[in-house]
Amino acid sequence: MVKYRVSIDIGGTFTDLVALNEESGGILNIKVPSTPREPAKAVIRALREFLGKTSDAEVSVIVHATTIATNTLLGQISLELPKTALITTKGFRDIIEIGRQRRHELYNLFIQKPRTLIPRRLRFEVEERIGPKGEILTPLNKTQVKSLAPQLKRENVKAVAVALLFSYINQKHERKIGKMLKKSLPKIYVSLSSEVAPEYREYERTSTAVVNAILMPIISSYLNELQRKIRKLGIKAPLCVMKSDGGIATKTIASKKPVGIVESGPAAGVIASAFYGRLLGIKNVLSFDMGGTTAKAGAVKEAKPEIISEYEVAGKVHSGRIVKGSGYPVRHAFIDLAECSAGGGTIAWIDEGKALQVGPISAGAEPGPACYGKGGKQPTVTDANVVLGRLNPKCMLGGEMKIYPKLSEKAILKEICKKIRLELTEAAAGIIKIANSAMAKILRIVSVERGHDPRDFVLMCFGGAGPMHGCALAEELNIAKIIVPQNPGLFSAYGLLAADFQNTLVKAIMKLIDKVNVENVEADFQKLELKGAKLLEKQHVPKMYMRFIRQMDLRYFGQSYELTIPTSKPLTPEILRQTVEKFHKKHMAIYGYAVKEEPVELVNLKLIAIGLIKKPKLKEKPLSGEKPPKDAVTARRKVFFEKDSSYIETSIYQREKLKTGNRIDGPAVIEQYDATTVVYPNWAASVDKFGNIILSAKNGGN
Amino acid sequence: MPLNPITVEVIKGALTYAAEEMGIVLRNSAYSPNIKERMDFSCTLFDHKKRLTAQAEHIPVHLGSMQLAVQKGLKKFDGKLEDGDMILFNDPYISGTHLPDITLICPIFYENEIVAYSANKAHHSDMGGKAPGSMAGDATEIYQEGIIIPPVKFVKGKVIDKEIANILLSNVRTPEIRIADLRAQMAANLLGKQRVLELVDKYGVETLHKAMEEFMNYSERRMRIEISKMPKGSCSAEDYLENTGTSNKKVKIKVTITVKKRQLFIDYTGTSKQVEGPVNAVLGVTLSGIYYVLKCLTDPSIPMNDGCYRPIEIYAPEGTLVNPTPPAPVAGGNVETSQRNVDALLKAFAKILPEKVCAACQGTMNNIAVGGINPESGKHWTFYETIAGGFGGRKGIDGVDAVHSHMTNTMNTPIEAIETIYPIRFLKYELRKDSGGPGKWRGGVGLERSWMLLAPSATLSVLAERTETSPWGLYGGKPGAKGEYYIIKPNGKRIKLKSKCTVKIEKGDIFLVKTPGGGGYGNPLERNSELVRRDVLNGLVSPESAKKDYGVVVNLLQSNNVRRKQKR
Repeated sequence: MVKYRVSIDIGGTFTDLVALNEESGGILNIKVPSTPREPAKAVIRALREFLGKTSDAEVSVIVHATTIATNTLLGQISLELPKTALITTKGFRDIIEIGRQRRHELYNLFIQKPRTLIPRRLRFEVEERIGPKGEILTPLNKTQVKSLAPQLKRENVKAVAVALLFSYINQKHERKIGKMLKKSLPKIYVSLSSEVAPEYREYERTSTAVVNAILMPIISSYLNELQRKIRKLGIKAPLCVMKSDGGIATKTIASKKPVGIVESGPAAGVIASAFYGRLLGIKNVLSFDMGGTTAKAGAVKEAKPEIISEYEVAGKVHSGRIVKGSGYPVRHAFIDLAECSAGGGTIAWIDEGKALQVGPISAGAEPGPACYGKGGKQPTVTDANVVLGRLNPKCMLGGEMKIYPKLSEKAILKEICKKIRLELTEAAAGIIKIANSAMAKILRIVSVERGHDPRDFVLMCFGGAGPMHGCALAEELNIAKIIVPQNPGLFSAYGLLAADFQNTLVKAIMKLIDKVNVENVEADFQKLELKGAKLLEKQHVPKMYMRFIRQMDLRYFGQSYELTIPTSKPLTPEILRQTVEKFHKKHMAIYGYAVKEEPVELVNLKLIAIGLIKKPKLKEKPLSGEKPPKDAVTARRKVFFEKDSSYIETSIYQREKLKTGNRIDGPAVIEQYDATTVVYPNWAASVDKFGNIILSAKNGGN
Repeated sequence: MPLNPITVEVIKGALTYAAEEMGIVLRNSAYSPNIKERMDFSCTLFDHKKRLTAQAEHIPVHLGSMQLAVQKGLKKFDGKLEDGDMILFNDPYISGTHLPDITLICPIFYENEIVAYSANKAHHSDMGGKAPGSMAGDATEIYQEGIIIPPVKFVKGKVIDKEIANILLSNVRTPEIRIADLRAQMAANLLGKQRVLELVDKYGVETLHKAMEEFMNYSERRMRIEISKMPKGSCSAEDYLENTGTSNKKVKIKVTITVKKRQLFIDYTGTSKQVEGPVNAVLGVTLSGIYYVLKCLTDPSIPMNDGCYRPIEIYAPEGTLVNPTPPAPVAGGNVETSQRNVDALLKAFAKILPEKVCAACQGTMNNIAVGGINPESGKHWTFYETIAGGFGGRKGIDGVDAVHSHMTNTMNTPIEAIETIYPIRFLKYELRKDSGGPGKWRGGVGLERSWMLLAPSATLSVLAERTETSPWGLYGGKPGAKGEYYIIKPNGKRIKLKSKCTVKIEKGDIFLVKTPGGGGYGNPLERNSELVRRDVLNGLVSPESAKKDYGVVVNLLQSNNVRRKQKR
């Protein structure tokens, strides 16, 4: 029997299965069309094909990335949202609807807020009140809680969220309500805000509990059904799900807190970047993923993906950032990602003020870029790359798809050149430049805006279109080194296979540092560790593979945003002092100032409980000479490079023929099945022992 | 030689992003909830000729005031600025808003020449004066509203002038927070400076200036194209402030809009003279209202800069409510008159663009400021907030419930944050039944919010509108409910407050606010009865109102039973 780790990623068009041979490090890839209405169908089909291809496969684990949670909330899946109710403190049932009282677009008289997930008549109030210090001001009226059960039953409610004021300090009332509901309505899913997001800010906490409650029935039945079908295929491996924080969780844990998997898919690319970084001994990596419709950026700092603690599910993105108020806020650990509409299929156009714009509309897969010859008339980023000679002018996907460069030229001439009087080449280069500046911006959002200097990072370029734009972006950000992994199109799948089990536990403290009792906080941390260990045990992680990371959310007293600072074990006054010192430093790095005499407030304790998994082994290849084999050069063609503003006769290499140790000086183009790497002049490419292309700036990046 | 359009586009993007990034720095490093949570600030970049080049989309009430502020505020410093200086002021007659908004401007030097300016404005929750929060509803002179700072070199050679800081901080109730927020404002300007200098390094001063010029020309072109799409002609409208804070007389705003081929003319002739109370709107505020409405009615993606201003000619007679002269008090002009200005403008535009405007929104910001001595710390506390209400109905869709409209978009402060810091306890925060103006498309409902004072005593200021006049409906839609403010004494006695007042309150007193709803759009009898039923089930419309206003009988016991009475 050969052991395989299997990852399955459901995309909009295709469902990708990647199987990693645990002994040899070899990879098997299966692509089947996605079945958006019944995502599990494509998963099973892919698994069946995989089993058909390998006679003696034993699957050791299945890791699954799914967008079902987000898509359900976006209404993209023909699933009706399960009927869900909300229980709140008396007088406050509308917090979930009022939100932060803002409109997410300022200059729109036709603005609409996202539909409140629970209609008002299913929002119930109970008499109770806890004060800001956790004191009980009004005891819970249990008779009222009791009387809710028949109403919930009559309404045929499937799930209930409970969110009371100040429950993050005192959970007593929420727990009691939870217990009473479970007892009288055992089939109902219950989501307590104090368990799902025990942090201050009532709207965000309530919203998290509500999103969780709605997803509980959906995710549970989806994962149960999927597991049942997988077992039917004779696969006994545990079914794990990728979470938004880049960790994985078993089916049972994910079903209990589905709010943790809403951004399941996009996190994988950053995790893969972190994994490759560790493998290659690189601690700081900027992860850049460019596909057909969007580009995504993430950062790995000190070998760890950067994490944010809030996200808006089903929200809109405007120039790289999520628009506050456009979706449903969720407090949870999320891999920090910035996104823009710049992909191969993104359309370029001239606006009424005669300016060249790129995006946000995409030609998608149908009709796709003009050069596909499927009827697309609008010029896209891909068409610009064809005109500039960067993409193969004859065919793509190893000859499977024909390319019509004349159609690219025609589209750009008609839609751009005629309208603003530019030469064809200027226009094509302009499209690329504008797309690049949008993409440079998202890389800046995850680095500069978070207080990191991009020059300290290596750029990991993947996705079908990423490697084509790497050099330009690196030059823009003064980055000296780029890695193009061996299979840029499958790279995210590695993330799924390399992710550890992970759970973040939070406890709100809300105390000034000089009033913090170190022993109490140490005891709180230990309690969180016990909880974390229990969660990991439930997922069959042996003790020796458990790791616990402690963090503190700190801020200057009076501020309302916290910085998460790592701290160590056991907590002593000295460690606390050092942690506060780190906080001042980070504040300085991000915001440009620190005030040592200001009182610092400890807002939350955070504990990340990690269950290490055995990391995939990559195939190492024997070393060859610097000179690439002769047959690696498949053609020569004219390729445009901005610096010289001219076309340069350039060698075209076939990546599959390159060997470890080979070195190519730019300008060059390296083509492979599903990606093209463009090596700019003043850059050199070399192939490492894993088959990655390493691009280095000859002048050190300046 | 004209610039390559691609270079222009790239520099445009970089400048816009720099302004956004300034906002992120300001927000993240500020202390007060007002700036952090409610984002009551604006960040901008100006070219060397002091023309607005890029403005991040933060808050509409600053839209038209930044350019005036920079041009007027720097006048006396021409030729006297040095690298490392920053100019600060809050004089409304210069800054174009009200005293709590502090403007901070940073000249950006390159080789001893000013190549650009970064500037921002942020609302500080207290600037001294007779009432905590500096928004006294009954001020009769600007001197009662707080400390007035004329343009001064607040930062010299990168260091804050301690003497000036001392004067400022001695006049405000929460000096520690003020200085922290000012530091955040400095940090934002420094970031803007750094970004502009990076562009200079890359492209050179000449190219940068040409690109800035083209950036403004681009906005102008797009604005003119949008105006040319409007029907030509002239239309006018009036709306009223219900009182001035010191007198119960209504005050009129009259506006006449003339659409020419590629140009607009906006005339406030016929508007009331400036008044004694604090509702006078300085010119900057009036301009902001105009630009806000135009942004909504044209294409909001047109970048805001000097170019947008060029096709619009404005006449606001001096000495009137919309362009007062000192020492008229102005605190409420920013927050209340600015809303009424928008109402008047939209009412006029409704006559030429009936399908593009909404019925009146709540038309007030419901400014509440409360403060006193905190019994636990012995220190002064001030809490300021604005409260959302109903949005007007629009063709095809109901008005949004409980949301800020038009000139403000500030967030609420979490109750859990307020109660942790201030001696008040909330009792209620909910949607207000029957407050949305009935219409084919209903106006959004307002809010009810109430809290109890836990400290021995405090001073409470209300600065609001629409408690006597109603947010109007359009095309047969009915008006939204008026606002109401009460103090409820521990013995249950209810005292109704006026919309502009400052009162003493005591421990155990309950403050209750009911904010106005939006006006309805279209005849309510034509409203889909299913929507009426949904509103009744959700408790937003009472069965009585359903029957009376919509002609729909909803039987709550049999939830499927909906019957439309014969149309009258």
